[in-house]
Amino acid sequence: MSVPPVPQCGFAPLPRTDTAERIATPTVPYWTDVWRRLRANRPALAGLVFIVVLIFTAIFGPMLSPFSYYEQNLRLSNIPPILRPYTVTGEDGSQERFFLNSGNFALYGITEDGRMTDILRGKADMLNRRTTYDIAGRDVVVDYKSLPVSVSIDDSIALPGGRVWNRTYLFGTDQLGRDVLVRQMYGARISLLVAFVATLVNFFIGVAWGGVAGYAGGAVDTAMMRIVEVIATIPLTLYVILIMVFLDSGLTSIVIAIGTVFWVDMARIVRGQILTLKQSDYVAAARTMGAGPVRIITRHLLPNTIGPILVTLTMLIPSAIFIESFMSFIGLGVTPPLASWGTLTSNAVETMRSYPHQLFFPAAALSLTMFAFNFLGDGLRDALDPRLRK
Amino acid sequence: MTGAAIRALPWGWFLRRLALMAVTLWVIITLTFFMMHAVPGGPFVSERMMAPEIAAALDAKWGLSDPLWQQYLNYLRGILRFDLGPSFKYPGVSVNEMIADGLAVTARTGLLAVLCVVAVGVPLGIAAALNRGRWPDTGVMMLATIGVAVPSYVIATVMLYVFALRLGWVPTFGLDDWRGYILPVIALAGFWVSFVARLTRSSLLETLDQDYMTTARAKGLRRRQILIRHGLRNSLIPVVTVLGPVVANLLTGSFVIEQIFALPGIGRHFVLSITNRDYTAIMGITIFYAAFLILMILIVDILYLWLDPRIRAGAKA
Amino acid sequence: MTLLSVQGLQSEFRTARGVVKAVRGVDLTVAAGEVLGIVGESGSGKSVTCMSILKLLKRQGHITAGKALFQGRDLLTLSEAQLSDIRGDEIAVIFQDPMSSLNPTLTVGAQVIEVILRHRKVSRAQARARAVELFDLVRIPAAESRVDAYPHEFSGGMRQRAMIAMALACDPKLLIADEPTTALDVTIQRQILTLLKDIQARMGMAMILITHDLGVIAETCDRVCVMYGGLVMEEAPVKALFARPSHPYTRGLLAAVPDLRDGMRQRLSPIPGSPPDMADPPPGCPFAPRCPAAMVHCVAERPPLFIATDTPRLGGGQSARCWLMHPDAPEVSP
Ligand SMILES: Nc1ncnc2c1ncn2[C@@H]1O[C@H](COP(=O)(O)OP(=O)(O)O)[C@@H](O)[C@H]1O
Ligand code: SF4
Ligand SMILES: [Mg+2]
Repeated sequence: MSVPPVPQCGFAPLPRTDTAERIATPTVPYWTDVWRRLRANRPALAGLVFIVVLIFTAIFGPMLSPFSYYEQNLRLSNIPPILRPYTVTGEDGSQERFFLNSGNFALYGITEDGRMTDILRGKADMLNRRTTYDIAGRDVVVDYKSLPVSVSIDDSIALPGGRVWNRTYLFGTDQLGRDVLVRQMYGARISLLVAFVATLVNFFIGVAWGGVAGYAGGAVDTAMMRIVEVIATIPLTLYVILIMVFLDSGLTSIVIAIGTVFWVDMARIVRGQILTLKQSDYVAAARTMGAGPVRIITRHLLPNTIGPILVTLTMLIPSAIFIESFMSFIGLGVTPPLASWGTLTSNAVETMRSYPHQLFFPAAALSLTMFAFNFLGDGLRDALDPRLRK
Repeated sequence: MTGAAIRALPWGWFLRRLALMAVTLWVIITLTFFMMHAVPGGPFVSERMMAPEIAAALDAKWGLSDPLWQQYLNYLRGILRFDLGPSFKYPGVSVNEMIADGLAVTARTGLLAVLCVVAVGVPLGIAAALNRGRWPDTGVMMLATIGVAVPSYVIATVMLYVFALRLGWVPTFGLDDWRGYILPVIALAGFWVSFVARLTRSSLLETLDQDYMTTARAKGLRRRQILIRHGLRNSLIPVVTVLGPVVANLLTGSFVIEQIFALPGIGRHFVLSITNRDYTAIMGITIFYAAFLILMILIVDILYLWLDPRIRAGAKA
Repeated sequence: MTLLSVQGLQSEFRTARGVVKAVRGVDLTVAAGEVLGIVGESGSGKSVTCMSILKLLKRQGHITAGKALFQGRDLLTLSEAQLSDIRGDEIAVIFQDPMSSLNPTLTVGAQVIEVILRHRKVSRAQARARAVELFDLVRIPAAESRVDAYPHEFSGGMRQRAMIAMALACDPKLLIADEPTTALDVTIQRQILTLLKDIQARMGMAMILITHDLGVIAETCDRVCVMYGGLVMEEAPVKALFARPSHPYTRGLLAAVPDLRDGMRQRLSPIPGSPPDMADPPPGCPFAPRCPAAMVHCVAERPPLFIATDTPRLGGGQSARCWLMHPDAPEVSP
């Protein structure tokens, strides 16, 4: 090797100041780091945004809606969210628009931009199975002798032109003429309510149970964990069904039922964490300084357990939402006229053949919410994973 | 197996598990009994409104005029003889008959679904893990996320609408030909296929990162040998542990699936009993489900023991 | 005769946090039957160097440059199938942690037998007999019955013996032992090292021994490589290194070795400061931030590996990567 030339000044001692700083990398606070990782996770962030929007809609949406979730209007039943308008041009050149509700063969007036005015009154001819209307001075006949229903204007068959979004009932109405949108928003209220109350109750039971078992140790721990083992073996759905049969359907019962089934995982996690942390030095130090068990659990142990607890909670929410909707779907959940996504789905199944769109909204709402919580839970778990943190 | 090998099995551990399972079953039976007892208008109240022949049947079975504890013991005794008593709603029908009536349908769809979970979920998970970050992985994970997030009854109804009502590819209800099984089995298995695919993937990924996998490579073993002998065996252990609960949950999932597709299975009877308030049927079917689930968990325990020598040692200690 | 010659090896890990340049141009040679020691603080790239030679890097690892000539064949250009014929047969590896390096669900014997069956045309019974023989060789008592035991039934030391048996199964020409004793109890460390040294001498195989412990190097090795920041900092015959360490880093390491007259045992690494972050290594000499003799030029340009013919400051067979070796540099007394 040929020796590379080095300028003589290069052999001067290196001034120490600037190099020392290189060694220390700045330590990022834990939660800032978690938040940064969560934000970088697109699906998790989208889930979070969706959940926030959903919460706001559930709280404020019904207040802003002109409709209530219980008021029925059978004349306005099964209105679709997308209308196919017929246009009648009068002799004076004025235009009237209406659409045909293929469910009850009735005509409803609509404005240019898709607002519904009212059901139109016509002369019903039951014998010939036709109804005659006078719209803009013309004879409009709805003939339902043979299906599909035909509409003729002044004896010539008319066809609907284009599609327009129903501006009055954005999501349409159900078979009792109630606004689907507002019922959806109430459904969101129920789902979120059940989810959050149930999660909270489970959290407290789980933390208390696991905390006491882990902290006490010995025979108490063994006994408590045996009980947990037994409970864990009981299928959750069966348990909830039994409680619902026992307490009778209703919102309170479902909250109680779901509130008391999911704490087992939580108890196990908290106990496990406490057992490992109990050995650690600072708990021993706290104990020698005279801190009592409650103080040790709340001030020292729980803050260290918060990560796994948070993930379990986030994962618990979609389970609670699912069970509630499942119970409501099989008729054991909330009672009418209250609407939950489960009852909305089950109602829609009854009319699925004629009004498939009614199935779409609750199914989509439920699925999207489940997605959102799943993504958030997954993202949170990844973000909190200490293995990624080096 | 040789006598020594049989003696080497952790019998004590197994007996303890058995005892725990028995206790669990007993807790469920007791809970069910007293809950149903406390329901106003339930089956164990003597001044009630029910068909006289039902009242007579119930009385003959459990002695409704006897004190509560006597009734409870009668009920327990019945269960020990696999006798779940008469229906509370249908005169002359026993809960045993209801279960027997639906068993074939439920077992057949359930078994197909379990097969799906194992034969589809596990390979999908493996394919995803081995192609980590590439399109098979992304595709499988996307599917699996849908399967885990969308409730089975939503999948069922949407599929029913699309494939049966709109496209007419499969019958809307009934199991008269094999195509009738397609939608119920997919709906039933969808969640667990996804769940197992995700679990297999993450478990295999974790295994692939283990030091002993590097050892296997350093020994010059062939790719297939490394993957099957060292990778799969270890990564399937957690998958096996969830299979017991999977089977049980397939059963509970079947309530609503049988309802939606109008399949004459146990689940349909169960949901009907709930709507009809057929309390004895609810009790009986609940206990049947619970017993089945517990049996599954025991079977999985044994499988687990066979797969993982560490557990064998731990269980013996 | 040169058995293995590594030239200009560079390896990196592409992680979410950036590219970790773990090995940045390493040259090594191992002669047949020779024991080469590699020493250096944790994170200096010792393991990655050795794993790169056999292309055994974990998922994110990539070899970006260099050659690894084993008996004249460049291992880095071989296909996975060709390499797998060499791994476990001509070159074998022993890892640091015997707890995690054995598959917990297979018997120890099965794990030895499978490597024999892979590389030798023998029956299963013959392979098993060989496994028992190997267990005897590494002094596992009751070899005949222990072959059928599971790893969890072995103590740490016994597991490492089993790992050694596995590595010796096909009489390798080169054995790479990556900190084979670090995870073991102090009393067992000595036994395992003695065993390794014994077997190496008896079988006449070459060995690369990675270790933290300069004491072990002194007893076991013929030549030593001192690594730091993904580079070889100094290479020398073992006697020369201890007698005349030329690199400030080597001197730092030696200063940390307990003085045997005091009889005190001290851990390695009381050099102030910590090793560089290899995702963002300092420019110039990686040791500059911690080097007591650092000069202005040290942070400007990476020092080349000076050899004895370049500079009067190195003895025969010795080389060092330090600007102090430059003929124009000021003399620093050790
Ligand atoms: N799998 C990996 N992923 C990312 N970085 C790694 C990985 N393995 C090793 N490294 C990095 O490579 C550098 C060298 O590591 P290594 O060779 O294991 O050091 P040692 O000298 O202690 O054996 C270290 O900075 C380490 O952080
Ligand atoms: S090159 Fe400079 S900084 Fe590096 S070891 Fe030598 S003197 Fe120290
Ligand atoms: Mg290492």
